[in-house]
Amino acid sequence: MRGLAERAQKLSPSPTLSVDTKAKELLRQGEKVINFGAGEPDFDTPEHIKEAAKRALDQGFTKYTPVAGILPLREAICEKLYRDNQLEYSPDEIVVSCGAKHSLYNALQVLLNPGDEVIIPVPYWTSYPEQVKLAGGVPVFVPTTPENDFKLRPEDLRAAVTPRTRLLILNSPANPTGSVYRREELIGLAEVALEADLWILSDEIYEKLIYDGMEHVSIAALDPEVKKRTVVVNGVSKAYAMTGWRIGYAAAPRPVAQAMINLQSHSTSNPASVAQAAALAALKGPQEPVESMRQAFQKRRDFIWQHLNSLPGVRCPKPLGAFYVFPEVSGLLGRRLKGREIASASDLALFLLEEIKVATVAGAAFGDDHYLRFSYALRLEDIEEGMQRFKELLEAAL
Amino acid sequence: MPAVAKRVKNLPPYLFARIERLIAEKRAAGVDVISLGIGDPDEPTPEHIREEAKRQLEIPENHRYPTSVGLPAFRQAVARYYARRFGVELNPEREVVTLIGSKEGIAHIAWCYLDAGEVALVPDPSYPVYAGGTILAGGEPYYLPLLPENGFLPRLEDVPTEVARRAKILFLNYPNNPTAAVASSSFFAEVVAFAREFDLLVCHDAAYVEVAFDGYRPSSFLATPGAKEVGIEFGSLSKPYNMTGWRLGWAAGKEEAVEVLGRLKSNIDSGVFQPIQYAGIKALDGPQECVKEMNALYQLRRDLAVAAFREMGWKIDPPKATFYLWLPVPSGFTSESFAEYLVEEAGVVVTPGTGYGRHGEGFFRVSLTLPTERLQEALVRMKRVLGKVSF
Repeated sequence: MRGLAERAQKLSPSPTLSVDTKAKELLRQGEKVINFGAGEPDFDTPEHIKEAAKRALDQGFTKYTPVAGILPLREAICEKLYRDNQLEYSPDEIVVSCGAKHSLYNALQVLLNPGDEVIIPVPYWTSYPEQVKLAGGVPVFVPTTPENDFKLRPEDLRAAVTPRTRLLILNSPANPTGSVYRREELIGLAEVALEADLWILSDEIYEKLIYDGMEHVSIAALDPEVKKRTVVVNGVSKAYAMTGWRIGYAAAPRPVAQAMINLQSHSTSNPASVAQAAALAALKGPQEPVESMRQAFQKRRDFIWQHLNSLPGVRCPKPLGAFYVFPEVSGLLGRRLKGREIASASDLALFLLEEIKVATVAGAAFGDDHYLRFSYALRLEDIEEGMQRFKELLEAAL
Repeated sequence: MPAVAKRVKNLPPYLFARIERLIAEKRAAGVDVISLGIGDPDEPTPEHIREEAKRQLEIPENHRYPTSVGLPAFRQAVARYYARRFGVELNPEREVVTLIGSKEGIAHIAWCYLDAGEVALVPDPSYPVYAGGTILAGGEPYYLPLLPENGFLPRLEDVPTEVARRAKILFLNYPNNPTAAVASSSFFAEVVAFAREFDLLVCHDAAYVEVAFDGYRPSSFLATPGAKEVGIEFGSLSKPYNMTGWRLGWAAGKEEAVEVLGRLKSNIDSGVFQPIQYAGIKALDGPQECVKEMNALYQLRRDLAVAAFREMGWKIDPPKATFYLWLPVPSGFTSESFAEYLVEEAGVVVTPGTGYGRHGEGFFRVSLTLPTERLQEALVRMKRVLGKVSF
């Protein structure tokens, strides 16, 4: 049998999910694992959303729908984008897919030709580089620093642009850093994108999880010229605790949206009908559950951020969005802890999982292995317990 | 605005998407259009399957990320189904992967095996996704004509040796969409030998394996000796259990292909909502009367339609499987002009054969997935505008 395609040989499985799987395995074996690895809210999907799904099943809403999603859902998305983001789209500029990840994949597939360069600020969400490569693109990694809250500056972007550059990936609020771009920062980046004739892929999935009075700004809302070259990706996963339901969406200029629909009609067709009914209820229904979840996250963030910063060898800027903290752990690297060589954050993550059953994700998954990602999408008691274990371990080991 | 990528420009618009639009236009103009176009079962998913989904979506764990390769329990249910129905042993861990509908796996298998310029053997006519996936992956489809004189089976001996050597994938689909043809076990044995000789991955689409009539029970390609070493099979819950909207299917067979599909998927999507997978388990393990009832209903409609087309002058045998009829267009028409004529004159939508490839020219497809009285009405209208046809 002749070999696989080159792209398949080079393909790595999604690393954040594999860490999560490992932790879940230990849990199944009865270990009391504190899992800071998860990339999803620990809340349940609100009741009225589940009820809408059940009603849809009762009514036999089980057949194919239009590939891009049912019209009422696309209308509700337009209303949401207008209400929350001051963005005006028509339903034929909206494509509903099997999660925001799938929306990003479809967007990259229709925007990139082989050899096109894509600027990805580091640290990045783990699937961006693989998805870019699957579309034949070339990831160009541009480092950011904790001093600058892990945000790309216009001058960084300008320096990275070449004649081959085609697209910039922006993620605000960001996974894994929790950074949030301010309006004036986005204006600076948009100017460079216009000058260099770039597409902008704006991943806004954490939009609703934002703290300390920060405002989420969609880069597409800055200016009609920017909107023309931006694909906005969002979904119901993080805002409504619906990660499992797999509904994301993209808003894009009509030719791009139509190309994404065409592509999707050749792969997954419509997203699951029952999940569409649930997403519709999420967008149209009461928004209080979102706010109470946000407040709970903010409380947890305050706790975990303070606690991590109090540990020796660990420091992190205060995240303003999402549900992650991304401390630098360089102070713990290059030394022996309990007789083990800890050369990288990956070593440290493994050490933490094995020694104190604390699961984190090493920065290697996000492009810089001097960091660990802690999700705080878990109960406050568990966060406290995990922080206590970490503290005691460092006290004993250092 | 910068232009969209070339790979999408090379992609023909997905056939059914175009039909969806045509129907919408006519309906907007107030015409009571009857569609014989789309293969979407008209009956809702059986109640016991929907109830299982409702029960499962109460469970908080199911609101969380699924794994991209699917629940072990679903993959085990697929393995049980293969053992029970076809006598095929599958390792659920390594030889089964859950899909967002079988189409997803069909589209992505080309990504796994084809580098730019490499060849996939694609039947013509066929389900558009075989060629679509190949083109998106940068590969080249080489078309195998499916002709009535060969029972709509490809003649593998006609594939030039140098093409067969360059090819990496062979797509097949029996019972067949759109021709409704079926394949014998001796044909499948021939396929295995051909795949061995030319080192090919056989990708068999078994979406219609449960939709059959007159006591006929189609077989799985994987039941052919040696098939698991050279091929994978795509299965679907859509057709037998009326679950098209749920988007649930699987790929089963050759371990390497299953593994790489799973790995690719983890970068594209995060799997299938777990209540949907549990509903799938219920469908596979639960009572199968619903499948028998649906088949009885399709058989009734098939007989009705065959009788009506015979009256109009078609010489046809009732198909043994699938819910399609694949019929030649009357003289004086092309596939396209005949389909347009029926929409314009009778408000009836059929699918022009050319939607499935060049060798679909001269044919049209009728789908039996609509309420019986609507089918009858469509046939009455066709009789009215066509009268007696000649060929």
